[in-house]
Amino acid sequence: MTTGEVLLKVENLSVEFDTPRGAVRAVDGVSWQVRAGETLAILGESGSGKSVSTQALTGILEMPPGRIVSGTAEYRGADLIAMTTKERRRIVGDRITMVFQDSLSALNPVQSVGTQIAECYRVHRGMSKRDALKRAAEMLDQVRIPAAAKRARDYPHEFSGGMRQRVMLAMALALDPDVLIADEPTTALDVTVQAQILELIAELQAERDMGVVLITHDLGVVSDVADNVVVMYAGHVVERASTAAALDRPVHPYTEGLLGSMPSADLKGQELPTIPGTPPSLRAIPSGCAFRPRCPIAIGDCAHDVPPLLTVAPGRDAACIRRTTLLEREAG
Amino acid sequence: MIRFVLRRLLAAIPIGVIVTLGVFALVFAMPGDPLRELAGDKPIPAAVLAAKRAQFHLDEPFLVQYLLSMKDILTGNFGTTFAGADIADQLRLRIPVTLKLTLLANAVQWTLGLIFGIYAGFKRNGLIDRSLLLVTLVLLAVPGLVAYFAAQFVFGVQLKWFPVSGVLEGFPNSYLLPALVIGVLGFAGLARLMRTSIVETVNADFVKTARAKGLGEQRVLWRHILPNALLPVVTFIGLDLAGMFGGAIITESIFNLPGLGQFMFQAIKLKEGGVVVLLSTLAFLSFIVINLLVDLLYGILDPRVRHV
Repeated sequence: MTTGEVLLKVENLSVEFDTPRGAVRAVDGVSWQVRAGETLAILGESGSGKSVSTQALTGILEMPPGRIVSGTAEYRGADLIAMTTKERRRIVGDRITMVFQDSLSALNPVQSVGTQIAECYRVHRGMSKRDALKRAAEMLDQVRIPAAAKRARDYPHEFSGGMRQRVMLAMALALDPDVLIADEPTTALDVTVQAQILELIAELQAERDMGVVLITHDLGVVSDVADNVVVMYAGHVVERASTAAALDRPVHPYTEGLLGSMPSADLKGQELPTIPGTPPSLRAIPSGCAFRPRCPIAIGDCAHDVPPLLTVAPGRDAACIRRTTLLEREAG
Repeated sequence: MIRFVLRRLLAAIPIGVIVTLGVFALVFAMPGDPLRELAGDKPIPAAVLAAKRAQFHLDEPFLVQYLLSMKDILTGNFGTTFAGADIADQLRLRIPVTLKLTLLANAVQWTLGLIFGIYAGFKRNGLIDRSLLLVTLVLLAVPGLVAYFAAQFVFGVQLKWFPVSGVLEGFPNSYLLPALVIGVLGFAGLARLMRTSIVETVNADFVKTARAKGLGEQRVLWRHILPNALLPVVTFIGLDLAGMFGGAIITESIFNLPGLGQFMFQAIKLKEGGVVVLLSTLAFLSFIVINLLVDLLYGILDPRVRHV
């Protein structure tokens, strides 16, 4: 457990999208926090609301059709959601920065990478063009891009996928942020490069005592780098725990199912277990517990109310009425 | 870069041969005897006819006529029209007329197209955007011929804002009406393309990145969205500019502007193969040069297609 200062604290965040067929709730009452030096993983399938929640709190979600219904997101006590766009821009992009999944489309194709990194220094620090470009080249060097000064003049399409993701990282870390939100940063990369990037993030994080929010659908990534994990299903947080505890003894049946379907050497020659069914459409979320139709231990009561996130053990929360304590989990 | 330009110019030579040969063949295939038409109802002595035929090489076989015409064009020895006017003088007088009309019309078209397209793209689904979509749809459906005559009647004859035709009032008065009509008709396509391109670019991931960097809306717009959204528009503008000469044949004839288009129209009517091929060659050359310039400009704007 990390004990650094709480940098970003999200509470009861709900986000809806207006669609021609009515509003759908993509994020429902989500809470989490990240401390200095901590890596928090937000784990979930596509459509579970993990990206939407971070995009909403940083103000880059298209609104409309998106709409924040409730919630706060406090950066060192200042609520990002309540503040004006102008105030938020001083924090998002400076103290809180983001890295996206597909680095080819996430970088401006007609600007050199040096210029794009330098833009951070120009806008937030008011540096001269020359100094900004010099700093940009230094940043590229820090993320271990060979011949950084020369490559700063190259364009995004001239880099390989892994190198491009390093460019994204250099841009995100240029201003020494307190919090880095990495939205599936390694999903588009092959496994070797993925490991390099994760290692690089961890190294740079240690140097800076930065909080990292890692959005991913990959349990392998979570187990490699995360201190704590928040598991999301259909817009809800279903489990919150330290990574070691969650991997060792998952409480929520969804987390358990995810762990069970992870390929491992023990399962060699056997068919990989899966969670039956598919995640629900946001238009037709089941009543009560959204996971109920796919859950092996569901009972009739599960259909009544949305299960609250309860503390099942110190530092561990889960949203399951069948397992309100760790002991109940052992039992069944 | 220089190699790219040379390669493109070399590739233009065979295309030029095909184009001029084709045009010449079409004129050659047209029915009627140009010299008899010129004489009208009056009888023409056989000796005069034979002499004229020899002067314009009309007694030679097709290929020889073509080659002689091309030789004249390439050596700058343009000769005279059937009616006796010096072709070089004609070009000197007519090229500025066409240029003035084309550039004025394009200025109208680009200004309207870019301003409305960009505005509608950023404020999509607003009042301006919806009106633009409706108005451009109507404009795209109006045939040029109808619009030209209607404009002449309404703004020239009835309201008397502009001269109906001719160039007696000089530049820009005599050119305003045709240029405005061409520009307004042409702006529809450009504005729609610009709007669509911006709407597509606004949703691109790199725009999200730019916002996540904490940039102001103005900076996101001018530095990130527009440079990308303009790329398809540059191609369109180039093709459009290059194709203006074709349109000039009709507009210059209707508005009685003594430019290259009107010259072309008269030459086709009189079956003057030499003049038609000369003007086609000029149009072809300007097409090649404009396209080359657009490609070079595109390379500057988009590093992904930069030429080695």
